[in-house]
Amino acid sequence: MMQLFRQERMWNKRELKSSYDVVIVGAGAHGLAAAYYLGKSHGIKKVALLEKNWLGYGASGRNTAILRSNYRTPEGIPFYDASLKLYENLSSELDWNLMFSRRGHLTLAHNDSGVTGLRVRAENNQVMGVDSRMVARAEIRHLAPTLNVSASARFPIQAGLYHPPGGIIRHDAVVWAFARACDRMGIEIHTYTEVTGMHVEGGKVRAVTTSRGEIACGAVLNATAGWATTISNMAGVPLQIVTHPLQACVTEPLKPFLDPVIVSATLHVYLSQTDKGELVIGAEIDPYQSYCMKGTLPTLEQMATYTLELFPQLHGVKVLRQWAGICDMTPDFAPIMGASEEVSNFYMDVGWGTYGFKASPISGKTLAETIATGKPPKLIEPFSPSRFREGRLVGE
Amino acid sequence: MNFLFDSEEVPIQAGDTVASALYRSGRRIFSRSFKYHRPRGLLCCSGKCPNCLVNVDGSPSVRSCVTPALDGMRVRHQNAWPSLENDALSIGQHFDFLMPAGWYYKVFTKPATWHRVEPHIRKAAGLGELFENPQGIPEYEHAWMHAETAVIGGGPAGIQSALDAAERGEQVVLIDDQTELGGHLRYRKQRGADPRERIDALAARANVTLLQRASCFGIYEGNLLGVLLGHPHAGAAERLIHLRAQRIIVATGAYETPLLFDNNDVVGVMLSSAVQRLIHLHSIVPGRRAVIVAHGSEGDEVGADLKQAGVEVVEILAPSEIIAVRGSGEVKGVKSRRGDFACDLVIVCGPRVPDAGLLSQAGAKLQWSDVPGAFVPVGLPLNVSAVGDVTGETPVAAAQHFPDSKRAFVCICVDATSRDLKQGIADGFEEIETLKRYTTATMGPCQGRMCQLNAIQVCSRLTSRSMDETGTTTSRPPNPGVTLGALAGAKHHPIRRTPMHHAHAELGAVWLDMGEWKRPRYYQVAGAGGEAESVAAEYRAVRERAGLIDVGTLGKLIVRGKDAARLLDKVYTSRFSDLRQGRVRYAVMCDDTGVILDDGTVSRLADDRFFVTTTTGNLDFVHQWFDWWLVASGWDVSVTNVTGGLASVNLAGPKARDVLRKLTDLDLDPKAFPYMACREAQTFGVPAILMRIGFVGETGWEIHYPAEHGEEVWNAILVAGAEFGILPFGVEAQRLLRLEKRHVIVGVDTDALTNPFEADMAWVVKLDKEDFIGKAALARAASGGGVREKLVGFVMEGGVPEDGAPVVIGGIPVGRVTSSRYSPHRKAGIGLAFVPPELAAEGAPVRVRVRGQLRTAIVTMQPFYDAEGARLR
Ligand SMILES: Cc1cc2nc3c(=O)[nH]c(=O)nc-3n(C[C@H](O)[C@H](O)[C@H](O)COP(=O)(O)OP(=O)(O)OC[C@H]3O[C@@H](n4cnc5c(N)ncnc54)[C@H](O)[C@@H]3O)c2cc1C
Ligand code: FES
Repeated sequence: MMQLFRQERMWNKRELKSSYDVVIVGAGAHGLAAAYYLGKSHGIKKVALLEKNWLGYGASGRNTAILRSNYRTPEGIPFYDASLKLYENLSSELDWNLMFSRRGHLTLAHNDSGVTGLRVRAENNQVMGVDSRMVARAEIRHLAPTLNVSASARFPIQAGLYHPPGGIIRHDAVVWAFARACDRMGIEIHTYTEVTGMHVEGGKVRAVTTSRGEIACGAVLNATAGWATTISNMAGVPLQIVTHPLQACVTEPLKPFLDPVIVSATLHVYLSQTDKGELVIGAEIDPYQSYCMKGTLPTLEQMATYTLELFPQLHGVKVLRQWAGICDMTPDFAPIMGASEEVSNFYMDVGWGTYGFKASPISGKTLAETIATGKPPKLIEPFSPSRFREGRLVGE
Repeated sequence: MNFLFDSEEVPIQAGDTVASALYRSGRRIFSRSFKYHRPRGLLCCSGKCPNCLVNVDGSPSVRSCVTPALDGMRVRHQNAWPSLENDALSIGQHFDFLMPAGWYYKVFTKPATWHRVEPHIRKAAGLGELFENPQGIPEYEHAWMHAETAVIGGGPAGIQSALDAAERGEQVVLIDDQTELGGHLRYRKQRGADPRERIDALAARANVTLLQRASCFGIYEGNLLGVLLGHPHAGAAERLIHLRAQRIIVATGAYETPLLFDNNDVVGVMLSSAVQRLIHLHSIVPGRRAVIVAHGSEGDEVGADLKQAGVEVVEILAPSEIIAVRGSGEVKGVKSRRGDFACDLVIVCGPRVPDAGLLSQAGAKLQWSDVPGAFVPVGLPLNVSAVGDVTGETPVAAAQHFPDSKRAFVCICVDATSRDLKQGIADGFEEIETLKRYTTATMGPCQGRMCQLNAIQVCSRLTSRSMDETGTTTSRPPNPGVTLGALAGAKHHPIRRTPMHHAHAELGAVWLDMGEWKRPRYYQVAGAGGEAESVAAEYRAVRERAGLIDVGTLGKLIVRGKDAARLLDKVYTSRFSDLRQGRVRYAVMCDDTGVILDDGTVSRLADDRFFVTTTTGNLDFVHQWFDWWLVASGWDVSVTNVTGGLASVNLAGPKARDVLRKLTDLDLDPKAFPYMACREAQTFGVPAILMRIGFVGETGWEIHYPAEHGEEVWNAILVAGAEFGILPFGVEAQRLLRLEKRHVIVGVDTDALTNPFEADMAWVVKLDKEDFIGKAALARAASGGGVREKLVGFVMEGGVPEDGAPVVIGGIPVGRVTSSRYSPHRKAGIGLAFVPPELAAEGAPVRVRVRGQLRTAIVTMQPFYDAEGARLR
């Protein structure tokens, strides 16, 4: 209880120095996690995080904060599972309640191919030791009594994939807590510092130029998600990434109504109820490429339509805000992690698409190891930047 | 006329809102606050604060002050138990020192503790509840409108702008959220001349459309306005209008916001504009004794109104003079530097904030200006302009006073006080965007309207930065909030039915959803067993006699023109320029990375005319894909979607020829009409395209004919086949039949990364063609590059895996079953599965997980049924 009355700043403003061992571009959850593990696990603390806006401006401050590890591929499952395990303990480790709420994660299928898709995941999860199983309509009704499981719905629910360890987290808290831990170690967070160019010589980045001057660096980590290609271009590193907006919205707070996170792949909508009582609703990505972070009316209408298909009784509930973030989409729906092939000290932690928040602790940890030791851990080898050239797509 | 509030009958007078009727009947507490459950009463009376939220006819958090009271309404209080007057959870306010901003982040850092506490926090949070409305779910509508000029706001500025534009001859739409036009002149009588005449002039113009009780909740890209109209007619609750305007004039005015002092949220503390509305719009005597808090002479206007209404004005205090409001439930008096005053109303003349959210959504910047003391819109985009108080040209109240008080509520929605903000800033959240997220101030149901200015001012002072440096938070639509019902509109998921739908229903069809389509999964024959028996009977009919299936959901395109073959050569992997007239060829379409997008058949009906089928789900995509590649080609090709115009069936089985012979004069002899041929001919007197193809592995014809003859021909075939024992069959039997034949279904046996080499369909890729989409990637795949896995057949004795079961090696899922069934022909489980390329060899054993157990299956690259294809010929 005494924590309540302690007075301490989460992070501090510091002087921008002329050189750092590692410069991390982008202070979202990923950049911050990498910095944290560089300092904590490898003693590398001459690190600067450069953020062009406020802390959490990017997708880390805009996502729907769903955590889960019921992925599909043998590459993805252990990776996301390792992340979930780190998240479990992160509140105590960072001494900050991240409000990780394990309310279970329920994915719905409304047609036969949807059911098969879920079964692939359930089976693969079970083979690899992740708690995940198929549930029939009766059990779905029990898990989410307010859900419309009626057989006469327009798109009747056929079956579900239930993943008890999944849940939601307070995304801002993750960003803040990592930032505080970095600050404690002397790692510097520079907000309103935009990277505008890179000085590459002899296959290495020697310095980055920023809106506040040039900074020499031993290594650079690109952790800019939706902006990933703009930073890679500065280093002359091509990326198999396109950026699409992804939209979400939130309703007024309601009394507890829904426990598990609900996802419907067929209806392209997912939703959860926060501890404050709001329903957070997410859409599928906008069909066009853009860096625009403004919501659109048709997408909002689509989210509403599909939400009411699942929960017709919510018709009178008001949406209070809609917004968009931008997502770095790869062709195989898997991230790109590791040193670039072209510029040896230019590292990438990108390609997080619509699903990267849940991965921030593990990707931070593994990239910190990659940067510190020069060798990627086994867990992230399948996600190396060279896989596109080598035709080793992951297929998530 | 009356409505029910909880269990109390509340009489209604003409022009009443739910709130005005309740207030008149003596109600003062309207809600309980979010965090501390403090009693709250009417504050703004204009739909801009969180204080009057009630449940109306089952819908939560409805603003009673702007909701017209209707006879028979069912209104309930929310977020208080057992009642608004006595709320058990209100004891929380006495522990507020334990709950400063961000307290839950700092206290519950141990996961175990958090898991215990969270459910209780969760239970206490939230505002509204859902109740079933006895009238059922109301109707919501969508509408589309265009305007040359859209004016938002029906106050004096908006009225004048609309009149001006109308006089210029423009088509004008005026949007106003009140029941009557006039804006603040309706209740601030001293502020200007009665606008009645101008309103009448406006209403009389044919080129003006008035949308009243309609709020514009967002300006989207391309001057698209989202407008919500309440109760457009008796049959609908709301109508959402998509209004596209050439020019937008924003005349949304300014709204009053609270002042900060201790207990500034107590019931009876009201904005001056709110009390003016009660007096002038609803003829309500709001109280007996009022203290006014105002700068300089700003209180005189409301003072006069109060007196006129018969309320005694006890004192007018400056914001710096008021120390606190006394009273825990309702106002009892005021403690001030000039002494204590007893009263039952505290009327606040707060800063008036330009209502510029829409302008900011449209792209304007909000810049602080000391003179009006407001953020004013600058840098308006082309075709968007602002008039009236929203421009910030009229001076608003002078600077706020900032007490460091734990009960001076900045954000009444979430009970964030100025001390909470101070705490947040001390914790390091100095940016307004992070401060907002940390304290959640401005993020409640009022969407920041009541608190944004105060929050920014507190932040600016405490961080010693200018207002502009502090900045505003982003304005996001929809504001005001919009119901999910209105956003969704009328329930609008069309159901697509084939022309024979009702014939299937009569035959006992059990339906299957396939996208928007309904298809018979199988036919439940009266008296027979369940699905398994029905499917088995249908299967036997096709293998032994004849079967008929409706394949009308297949996409159908006519591709014609001199360069038609050229287009098909480009978009499909095989060659069609050498396809002879009267012949059919299987077709696979890939994207530029070689991934299979779709498959179907291409029939050459004439030299320059092809009939193309696509999979059920991909028709629209394929059509667009054709058009996409045609756009800049300059080729002479036209593509027509004929799906809805044709009924389609597949007649298959050893007796199919005998059945068809009864219906057509066409020579059906295998020599005259061989496998993979097509003909156009009359069938049962109807023009038809007949194709001899064999998805299910038997002699068969796919027949396409005009949709209006759908049932007629379908029934004729069944009648003709009766003597041979024909049965209609559904999708489930078809899936089994095609699986025995090892035919692949794109999207089922392939996924978002599968190329034809992985799908074991190398034969469809003609790399010697000049160029086609995906050629480079497929050339690489042909030499083994990028082949991650291979689709193989398998046989499993004594078991049938489920679709989706994994192929496992060493505890790792290395592949998966895409389709699997029990094969009556092989008397074993059969299926298709993706396996690593090295296992794709005849006879290789693989381990498949079947309901938790690993079992062995044997790989085969051959069809399970009629490997030589003798039955098709
Ligand atoms: C609406 C939405 C919902 C989502 N839902 C989920 C979900 O439920 N679960 C999940 O796991 N994932 C989800 N995601 C994805 C997830 O949010 C992201 O993958 C993840 O947050 C990426 O984190 P990041 O730290 O890599 O990037 P970001 O948080 O985007 O941070 C990148 C930062 O780089 C900064 N930057 C960019 N260019 C420069 C420059 N030139 N100089 C300096 N700084 C720069 C940006 O300002 C930004 O702050 C969602 C995304 C969105 C948009
Ligand atoms: S009193 Fe109704 S919204 Fe303010």
